Amino acid sequence: MSNNTMNCGQVRRLLPPFLDEELSGRVREQIASHLASCPACRTELEALKADIGLLEQVDTPEVTPFLATRVMAEIRQRGEPAPHGLARLVGSLAAALVVAVSIGAGVFFGFDLTQASTTVAANSTEAAVSYVESSAAGMYSMMSGGD
Amino acid sequence: MPGDNFQDQKVVTDDRELVQRAQAGDMAAFEELVRRHQRGLFSYLYRMCRNSSDAEEMAQAAMVKAWEKLGGFRGASSFKTWLYRIGTNLCFNLRTRRKPTEELTETMAAPDAERPERAYHQKVREDAVRNALERLPADQRAALVLSVYQDMSYQEIADTMGKTVRAVDSLLFRAKTNVRKALAEDRAKGII
Repeated sequence: MSNNTMNCGQVRRLLPPFLDEELSGRVREQIASHLASCPACRTELEALKADIGLLEQVDTPEVTPFLATRVMAEIRQRGEPAPHGLARLVGSLAAALVVAVSIGAGVFFGFDLTQASTTVAANSTEAAVSYVESSAAGMYSMMSGGD
Repeated sequence: MPGDNFQDQKVVTDDRELVQRAQAGDMAAFEELVRRHQRGLFSYLYRMCRNSSDAEEMAQAAMVKAWEKLGGFRGASSFKTWLYRIGTNLCFNLRTRRKPTEELTETMAAPDAERPERAYHQKVREDAVRNALERLPADQRAALVLSVYQDMSYQEIADTMGKTVRAVDSLLFRAKTNVRKALAEDRAKGII
């Protein structure tokens, strides 16, 4: 133990960020000064370095060379580019909703399906699109991760 | 299309520019991001889930999700830490869903077959380190892997894990203390 401003306990707690070069200049200097006069803490620092060195020696298997290809294939298969996804999503959902409402109305009223669907679709399209746009916008916002 | 002449560019393009192009719909730019980060992301996820097929599956899922969410990426952190954060969440979710006994730990082949004794000792050391890592709580392991193997700064780890720098410092201190304790026990038993 030296007569620096930091004691051994304080220095040892800071050895990992010291090794990782995460400390400010003043704290680094205090630790370096302590280490220069404290063999026990120097030994501790060397032991820490050796153990981290052991960690670094562990290999990882190589990533498959096809990973990027597979990622891009899946993205293309999904067919929805990120920035344009909302517009397409809104369009698809609106169309699907209009068709579903039309068919449902035709079945419910029990008359000429073609005529009914046209009427219902015409009346409901604007409201449906508006509803779907707001829902999809909310959903997209939820799906879009913040950073 | 902004990316039509992407292949012709001679300069090394940084991630931010690639992200901007990808956000404008340039898939070639996104593919370049995938190629840049696939190895590191796979390596990180392998060390987290200890199984190469799981790691590949998660890396692929993370990258596809990154493409889907790219419109919401504002660049407050780097693309790398953002991508790793997606991977981290997938990994933690998988660990939550899966019972510990379902985890399949792989042992890598000895790297030095012509010198069996040396290869054996190397393998024993590696197994000891892997076991020490495996025994860590997931958040400590993530912080340690990002620091030691991905060479991330504490700020980058904090961005990746959604924690403060102070919390990362604490996680790393506990992780290193625990790993060293496990390695010391192995030394005392003569294993390494």
